[in-house]
Parts: sequence; structure tokens; C-alpha cells
Amino acid sequence: MKLNVDERWDLIDKISKEVVSYGKYEHTLKDALGELSVKPLAGIPIAIAVLYGFWSIFSSFAGTLWTDGFMVKIFDEHFLPWMQTHFPGEGGWFYYIVVGDPAADNCFEAFGVLTSGLFVAIGVVLGAILIFYLMLTLLEDVGYMPRLAVLIDTVLHKIGLHGYAIVPTILSLGCNVPAVTATRILETRKQRFIMMTLLAIFIPCGAQLGIMEEVIPETMGVVVLYLIVGYFIFGFVLNKLIPGKSPEILIDVPPYQMPTRRNVRRKMWMRTSGFLKVAVPFVLLGCVIVNVLYITGVMDWLANAFGPLLTQWFGVPKETVGPLIAAFLRKDLAVAQLSAIEMTSYQMITSVVLVSIYFPCVATFVMILKEGWKELLGSLVVLAVVVFLYGGLVHLIGILAGVA
Amino acid sequence: MAKNKSSIYFGILGAVTLAFGIADLIVTIGGDSFTWGILEIPADPFRGGWGGLIVLFAGLFYLAGSKNLPEIHQLSKVVMGSVLIWIVAGTDIFAMITESIPGGGEGGWFNTLEGFFGTYAPPYAPAIFLLPFSLVVIYCVYRRK
Repeated sequence: MKLNVDERWDLIDKISKEVVSYGKYEHTLKDALGELSVKPLAGIPIAIAVLYGFWSIFSSFAGTLWTDGFMVKIFDEHFLPWMQTHFPGEGGWFYYIVVGDPAADNCFEAFGVLTSGLFVAIGVVLGAILIFYLMLTLLEDVGYMPRLAVLIDTVLHKIGLHGYAIVPTILSLGCNVPAVTATRILETRKQRFIMMTLLAIFIPCGAQLGIMEEVIPETMGVVVLYLIVGYFIFGFVLNKLIPGKSPEILIDVPPYQMPTRRNVRRKMWMRTSGFLKVAVPFVLLGCVIVNVLYITGVMDWLANAFGPLLTQWFGVPKETVGPLIAAFLRKDLAVAQLSAIEMTSYQMITSVVLVSIYFPCVATFVMILKEGWKELLGSLVVLAVVVFLYGGLVHLIGILAGVA
Repeated sequence: MAKNKSSIYFGILGAVTLAFGIADLIVTIGGDSFTWGILEIPADPFRGGWGGLIVLFAGLFYLAGSKNLPEIHQLSKVVMGSVLIWIVAGTDIFAMITESIPGGGEGGWFNTLEGFFGTYAPPYAPAIFLLPFSLVVIYCVYRRK
């Protein structure tokens, strides 16, 4: 049987009358709450509250309970003295690498593989990562993340991205490695390049945030502010300089829903185990390399070679060269190492900003390389310029404010 | 009549919440925390500043939603006001819990029973005082169903 166009439409009408029922859709409370959280006037206060809750729970759990409550006591009062007393060969190079400084009275200063290395990985980072991923998973599964994407879409368009860029950005606050993979949700090469570069430079990972909360709780806000400002300034510049398109998006916003326990458990396990597999070996390896560089005198040579640049241009002590090298392996380790160097409060702020922006950790480096060597090369060029300019600018701001 | 009662209730709660939010911000700008009986307004930039700003937003949500409350969009504003209070008060309570469990620098692994309960003693931040009053919204949602 062959139908002409009119007959086809008649048939469609007939079928739809039989199978589709029409009625008045009544808005539910969930719908109304959902609408409220994407309108800027109401959505921005809600976003501020959500981020406040996120950070407050993160710092209470990771800082007050996990690290200060139990881990500092376990590592500094029991494990470190036990290692210092019982590990054989005090004064030898092997002892120095494994246990670190025999006179140190806390794990931040000892800097041995099994003292500082384990303390950073388990005593600080594990707690931070657990609570970070739990909070992130809950926000995703409740359905808030797509709403945040809609809300921030206009702002992110100014730097050549769109609302979905909030996913790699927030993932990056946990770990840059999955965040680099998540940049694939962006459509164009231009967007992916901007996102990868910005997250590698300006977004501190959860481990680094955990250490910062422990080492510089008073001035952490200033460091984060510098990073946020840098994210937008250099995003804006990159958007102007890099050719390519930044298309609009259509986001499917699901209704708010209760997260399921099974889903939360699986996501937590997948993310935390993935993170630990990447992080722990690099933290331990970082301690070994930094200690070897100290023992062989390479670190002193590097400190003297880069001393003028560090002290004159960036305004930080030349000893910062050690943490900067460690930062290539793990940024959390580098911040921990900074805490053992004597410097002023503003020098500490500048140093932490430098550690954050100076180079992506090696795991992120490998992930960007997987995305393409051109992307990696481009990111490194941008990075070198950013470190030099932004590091100098942070120092200049300190001089103008009379604190540097 | 019930409509009017709930509108008046959330109108008053909104005004009080707004006043607490403004007080939070003023105290934070002043730099010294303020204690009056069992009420303490913190002066630190995070809890006092950002927390105060969120309490202020909660007050605005209550005031914006209190008129014609049974209408779903108005109710959603009041619910959101309560959610903001729950976030601030909930994180304050969570902070108390995390402080109350460990024994502290000089103590043992865990806190003593006295120390544990002592952490929950007053004074409290404004959001904790607002918490029980904000729970009334659950009744409103339940009754609407």
C-alpha cells in the first residue's frame, strides 16, 4: 500500500490520538526548585551556599578530624620517633632517604620516604580525597552539577568555554588526571586546549588543597584568590589568541533526585583507588629524588643558579628551588616541603602560587601528552609565559601593598 | 486562615534571618566576635563573612516567598531559604562533631566524655538558632502533598 503525504499525516494523527494522552502538567516542588537554581538571581546565592558547604565539610573532615585529630598524632608522636630510633644506619645516605632528618620533630620537616612520604600520602591526602570525592559524587547524583553548568555558562563563554567546562574544572579540584580526560566533553580543539592549560596551571588538586589547609590555613584564601583571578585573566587572553570556535551548548538538566548508595559507593571506589594508584608512588618517588638531589649537591647548585631569578623576580628564598622540583612529581609534596623553609607570610603565598602554576605534576603531564603532543607543547609554552608574568605580578602586588 | 498564618510566620522568620545575616556581616567587618548570652556571632571571614552572607540570602528567600505561600514557586523560595539555613547550620554542627571526637594535642586518642559533650555547649552561631524554626517548612511541604 502506497500513501501520499496527506494520507501519511492523517495516519499519524490517527495513531497519535490513540496512543498519546494529553493533560495539564502541574509543576512539582522539585521542578520549581530546579528552576530556582538556574536563574542567576537565585542561583548564584545557592551556588555560593553549596560551595560554602562543600569547603566547610572538606576542611572539618580532612583538616580537623583526619589530619589534626589523628594522623599528626600517629605520625609525629609515634611513627616518626620509632623510625628515627629503630631504623639502622643513622647518618648514612640510605637513612637520610628513607627516614630523613634525624633531628626533625614532625613529618613535614623530616622529608624521608617512609616518614614525610607516607604522612603526606595517607595522613593528609587520603582524608582530603575521600571527603572531596564523596561531596562531588553527591552533588553529581543529586543533579546539581548540570544546574551549575547552566548557571556559569555565560561567565565561561568569556574565556572561550561553556557551562560544561565546570565538570573538568571541579574534577580537577580532586585530581587533574581524570579532569584532563573530562576535557573531551568540550567540542572543539580550541576549547579543549584552553581547558587543559588552565586546569594544569591554575587549579590546585585535592591533595594540594589538603596540604595547604594544613600548612597555610590563614593565607590559603589569598592563594586561592590569586589562582581564580589568574584562571580568568589567562583564559580571557587565550580565548583572544587561539584561533577556533567556541560553540553554544544544549544541556539536558535532569530533575533533582536522591543519590543511590550503590552508585555513590562505586564512584567513590573508582575515583579514590584511581587517585591513590597515581598519587602514592609519585609522592614516594618525589621524596627519593629530592633527597638524592640534596645528597649529591645538585639542589644547592640549582638553588645558586636560579637564586637571582627566584629572589629578585619572584621575591622568594632561593631554597624554594627544591619544592619547585618536587612539584613536578607531586604538588602536595612540594607545599609540604615549603613549610620547612623559613620565609615571610607573603613569600609563602608567592611560593605556593608558584608551585601551583609552575608545572603540571608528572601524571597530568602524561595525560596531556596522551591528548596530543601539540597540545602538550602549546600548554608548556603558555605555562612558561604564565609563570614568569604571573609570578612576577604576584611579587609586584606584594611590593605595592608593602608586604613583600 | 492557615495560608495567612504560614505567610506571617515565614515573613517574620525572613526578617529575623535577614537581621542575623546583616549582624554577621557587620561583626565580621568589625573584626571582633560578638557574644551575647548563648548567642555568638563569629568574626572570621569564612563562617562570619561567607556564612553571614548565606544567612542574609536565606532571609531574602523567605521574604520573597512568604506572600501567597501555597503557590508552588513561592513555596520553593521558602524551601530554598530553609536549605541555605540547613547548609550553614549543618556545617557548623559537623565542625563541632569533628572537633569533639579526637583527644587533642595533650590528651589521648579520643576525647573524654566531658570534653565530648563540652564541645556542644553554647554559645551557638545564629544559623543554629534559626535551624529549628526553618524545619517548619517540612510541615508546609508535607501538608501541601
